[in-house]
Amino acid sequence: MTGGAVPATLVAAAQAIAVGELSSVELTRRCLAAAQRLNAALNCFVRIEDAAALEAAARADAVRATGAALGPLHGVPLATKDMFYDPARETSSGSRVRQGFRAAARATVLARLAAAGAVDLGSLSMTEFALGPTGHNAFHGACRNPWNPAHIAGGSSGGAGAAVAARIVFAALGSDTGGSIRLPATVNGVLGLKPTYGRVSRAGAMPLSWSLDHVGPLARTAGDLARVLGVIAGRDPLDASSSARAVPRYEALLGRGIEGLVIGVPRNFYAADVAAAVATVLDRARAALAGLGARLVEVDVPEPGLLTELGRAIVYSEAAAVHGHWLRTRAADYSPQVRARAATGIAIPAATYLEALQLRPRLLAAFVDSVYGACDVLATPSLGIEVPTLADTDVGATEAMWETIGRLCQYTAPFNYLGLPALSLPVGFSRGRLPVGLQLVGRPFAEARLLAVAAAYQTVTDWHQREPLAA
Amino acid sequence: MSPTDPPALGIELVRALARLEGYPPLDAETAARIAAGATSAVRAVAAAATASLFDVEPASFLAELERLGDAG
Repeated sequence: MTGGAVPATLVAAAQAIAVGELSSVELTRRCLAAAQRLNAALNCFVRIEDAAALEAAARADAVRATGAALGPLHGVPLATKDMFYDPARETSSGSRVRQGFRAAARATVLARLAAAGAVDLGSLSMTEFALGPTGHNAFHGACRNPWNPAHIAGGSSGGAGAAVAARIVFAALGSDTGGSIRLPATVNGVLGLKPTYGRVSRAGAMPLSWSLDHVGPLARTAGDLARVLGVIAGRDPLDASSSARAVPRYEALLGRGIEGLVIGVPRNFYAADVAAAVATVLDRARAALAGLGARLVEVDVPEPGLLTELGRAIVYSEAAAVHGHWLRTRAADYSPQVRARAATGIAIPAATYLEALQLRPRLLAAFVDSVYGACDVLATPSLGIEVPTLADTDVGATEAMWETIGRLCQYTAPFNYLGLPALSLPVGFSRGRLPVGLQLVGRPFAEARLLAVAAAYQTVTDWHQREPLAA
Repeated sequence: MSPTDPPALGIELVRALARLEGYPPLDAETAARIAAGATSAVRAVAAAATASLFDVEPASFLAELERLGDAG
């Protein structure tokens, strides 16, 4: 194919390459052209790897020509957050401290994407050290939202959300310690999945908080998300916290429908702080799910605000340990907000940190018993406010810092503490023509169920087909 | 904050901890943010620890996720 339309989905692109309708080189050239054209406005890449990507694409085409079996992502252009280690290139983790850093070994998820045939277009912008939900970055500049560049692209995987929404790549890889996949997915109008803790290896991913870090994909359709998850999920001997549980065939389970599925709508907490313009869109989304045969029930959710704070005790304790040496020796190389957040753990007693960890299995069991005794999937807002502007959220380390972070992570952070799988699904636009997301949360290892709900929803809506103006 | 909440950490205590731990001097704004963030986290843990954790091993979390896992 030369000059024809770019396939709308990753699955379609992989199929077109597999049957010879489209070459990986042609598709990669187009994606690189879009990256070069849009990056000046969006700042979603910190590095675009033109030469390496075209070489990988040429290799993919050569392999196809031999008739060899092809991987599920063969020849398809993707991109990854600037925090996955690769000896072939710099991994700056969005920071000044790690500028010029080259790892000795490749992250497991990068190796798995490459083994599946993916073409990596480059490193996507992120919040400094993944500590921040807005996408501001004092060193690389803020990432901008393709639906309206005055608004945030979210963080910390802001580049991933913006690049997927702007049709530069078919999918991207991010990380999520308090909402860093789901928030960028939400504000950019794409899907983002934080898998169950242990589902995807974190070996070779920059650590923020070992206990709460999760790696996962962003994409525009449930099918594309399922395909990438199927590639990266599964036990990794290099990550002691990865689960040996079998990986389901996510794509094969997508079409099972949601007839009779019980979807829980929280009675408490989640309804309290949602802006009217967001609530209206979420109500419509839940009605669409009911129209597909799901049964909506009201459920009480055990103290999500407390779960968020318990998570903070862990994140800040572990972040202070991870960053301790540099906070002592290179404090000026941190932005004020990231320095303050990373150093918060110096004032959290070790016993408090350990108690927060000890409480985790107990609170998880209580949450699962109480919520999933009453429903199959919990449906909450991903973000309760309309997507804010970069200006309104540029609070640095001022007094507004904790409130701003808290408002953005209010609905996502509890599920990092609990380790539950959570998917943000784009379900429409607010009055300001900015995306709204519905968060679907399942019991442990219920990724296939969440993907099936998203897939069913996308059969009766077209939000995922809308393209932002910047594209 | 309710009358029964433990008192908030003060800026001077945070600065003293930073010095003790070998950090460069903290400005008042950074110390205030650290004090506020740490206070809320410590209060939350104190509020949540309503029963003995004597026999709870934190590393059991992954096993608990697997035990409670979706059957498909």
